[in-house]
Amino acid sequence: MIDKLTRFTKTITRRSKALFADGGTVQDGGDESALLPRPSGAFFGSLPFWLPPFLLMGFFVYGAIGWNFVISLTETSGFGAVDYSQLDGEQYTRALGDPTFIEATTNTFGLLVAFTTVCLGIGLLLAILMDRKLRFDNGFRTIYLLPMSLSFVVTAQFWLWMYNYNNGLINSITSTLGLGRYRWISDPELVLPAVVFALIWQFSGYAMVVYLAGLRAIPTDHYEAARTDGATTFGLYRRVIIPQLKGATISAAVVLMVFALKAFDFLYSLTGSYIPPEGSDILATMMVRQAFRLNNQAYAAAIGIMLFVLAIAVIAPYLTYQHKQGEL
Amino acid sequence: MTQQSTHDLRRRTYLKGIGFAGTAVLTGLSGCTGGSDSSGGASLELLHGWSGGDGQAAFDSMLEGFEAKHTDIDVNAKAIGGGGNTSLDARINTRLTNQNPPGSWTEWPGKNLEQFTSADLLADIGESVWSNNGMQNAYLDGPKQAATSGGSFVCVPTNIHRINNLFYNTAVIETAGVDLSNITTPTSLVAALETVSENTDAVGMAHSTKSPWTTLQLWATVFLGQAGAAAYDAFISGNGDRAAVADAFKTVAAYSEQFPEDASTIGWKEANTMLVEGAAGFFHQGDWAVGAYGPEFAFESEWNHVAFPGTKGQYALNMDAWVFPREGPSSEAAKQWLQYVGTKDAQVRFNTKKGSVPPRTDVSTEKFGPFQAAQMSSLQDSELQPPSIAHGLGVTPEVLTKLKQAVGAFSFTKGSADETAQAFMDVFN
Repeated sequence: MIDKLTRFTKTITRRSKALFADGGTVQDGGDESALLPRPSGAFFGSLPFWLPPFLLMGFFVYGAIGWNFVISLTETSGFGAVDYSQLDGEQYTRALGDPTFIEATTNTFGLLVAFTTVCLGIGLLLAILMDRKLRFDNGFRTIYLLPMSLSFVVTAQFWLWMYNYNNGLINSITSTLGLGRYRWISDPELVLPAVVFALIWQFSGYAMVVYLAGLRAIPTDHYEAARTDGATTFGLYRRVIIPQLKGATISAAVVLMVFALKAFDFLYSLTGSYIPPEGSDILATMMVRQAFRLNNQAYAAAIGIMLFVLAIAVIAPYLTYQHKQGEL
Repeated sequence: MTQQSTHDLRRRTYLKGIGFAGTAVLTGLSGCTGGSDSSGGASLELLHGWSGGDGQAAFDSMLEGFEAKHTDIDVNAKAIGGGGNTSLDARINTRLTNQNPPGSWTEWPGKNLEQFTSADLLADIGESVWSNNGMQNAYLDGPKQAATSGGSFVCVPTNIHRINNLFYNTAVIETAGVDLSNITTPTSLVAALETVSENTDAVGMAHSTKSPWTTLQLWATVFLGQAGAAAYDAFISGNGDRAAVADAFKTVAAYSEQFPEDASTIGWKEANTMLVEGAAGFFHQGDWAVGAYGPEFAFESEWNHVAFPGTKGQYALNMDAWVFPREGPSSEAAKQWLQYVGTKDAQVRFNTKKGSVPPRTDVSTEKFGPFQAAQMSSLQDSELQPPSIAHGLGVTPEVLTKLKQAVGAFSFTKGSADETAQAFMDVFN
């Protein structure tokens, strides 16, 4: 059977000429250069490997973004074909003069910054605690990471119960502490922090895992050397350990920011409609509302492009950093 | 070494296998989508939002009746549920933008259809559908008006849900000592709600403010009862009286003091459960709420209803209708379907299961339960059938979205009532 298989492979794979049915070792006598990319033929030789994904990604992702950009320059609304005859930036000026857009942008940015920073802080703290070789640390790790595996549809309903005025856990805690009860979802001042808190609960476990991997990669000598030099625990982490977690911080931050931009699902599930609770409208919910409820396709496309620019602006520092490190 | 190489070989073979399988699946799929046209009889694609519960049972029963009559038509019905038609609307939107409409689909009739008729996407079925089966005479003016656009019929309503109901838990009301005959206006209900919360453990009125439509619907009913049908009509035509709109919001604000305290995190179904459990005295909602009242919570003995105070003799409409697209792929089959959904048979099949009432007034109440039968006679006796605001009969989708946003910002205080009234006025400007 194995022989048969090998023979079959031989006929279709040129390189398998070098395979022996018994050993599978590569016979590289004088043929080594064929296996390594030759500088001159490298471009054409590598075409079959990168061209198909490049075309697919280019067409379906970047092509779609480009098309979306073109639509954002039109005046399309309602049903029917897009009229490309007149392209201008009117939808963008409309957005800048629309108080809903300004509010949604502020909320999106606030959510992004608050969620990412607090998540990273809690993640780092948990990771440092986890790294102290606790008993049952695997169990704790799973517990902290578990909320991330839940879908937003589930967590949104879960947090509606948590924030219930009469019997929600959050209000039970605040009233026991003598802080009183709050209408977390219907108070426009409180709803965004409440949503951010729910998202932090869901994703700080992820930050913890990334940091934990970073911490485990730091050689023990660093700890020992710092101790020998008389560093306190706080000084050890502040001056030696945390600076070495820069890479982990940046990669975790980028993923968390992307999650923050996707908070649409959570807000949609909170109310079951495209109109999130007053005070929590973000660009994503506004875009979907404009596109699918009000049929303002061009305006929705413009909001989408601006959300995309915001996402790029958020990721740019990471890309620059990676580039400087020579990893890109 | 041998093991390693055979492992590699197997892996490649698997990968190749997966590749071939993927291609085969794709080919199969494209065969499916392309193949539907080649079947012998006419095919008809129907899109609707009844993907579960009583809605699904109602649609299935109606479809069964159609298929029994039209064995030559191959019906391809797709239920796109979720979020109160949100997903269905998005799908229809995309299909129409791509000039690929289904044979027929469900919509709220009335001004909600303006988005399509203004783009000339629906065709006149006055002759081909409405002239059959005595439909013209069997429908009341309100539903007929909702089914037309610019004087011509473009859809067929199949069911009516009433909006202006005030449900109550009889035990709670009796314990509280509320006399219903004293409640003749929306404002006089406030005192009754207070009596309930003073004399019992129940809250005055169950209500959910989780999403804005429930409060918009409550406001519209209060407005109808307080300002009258003429003011209601003026409002939906864009000539509303700001002071009257604000007054209705002030009444809603007064009700809100008797809402459950967790109104903002519960849905309307949970609010409905409060009525069933005796945790609330009154509840305003469309008559779909009755679907949750099982045999242990019996009509008349455990719960009952009156027309919302001030709206007696009116039947505030929420309807679903099947529309007829101008450029539809199977217009003959679609006309057959539309004719069928306008018949007594279809409407009995659908409405007995859905809990709504037939728009046709010549349907016998025999197969309906006591509550539905009572609603049917209320409909027949009604002088006016005002179109719903929260369910798109009276306003365009754009206006509806803006009204919902304005209601979302309403904070249930008298001060906020004036601001929200102004926002409502601005929606039409």
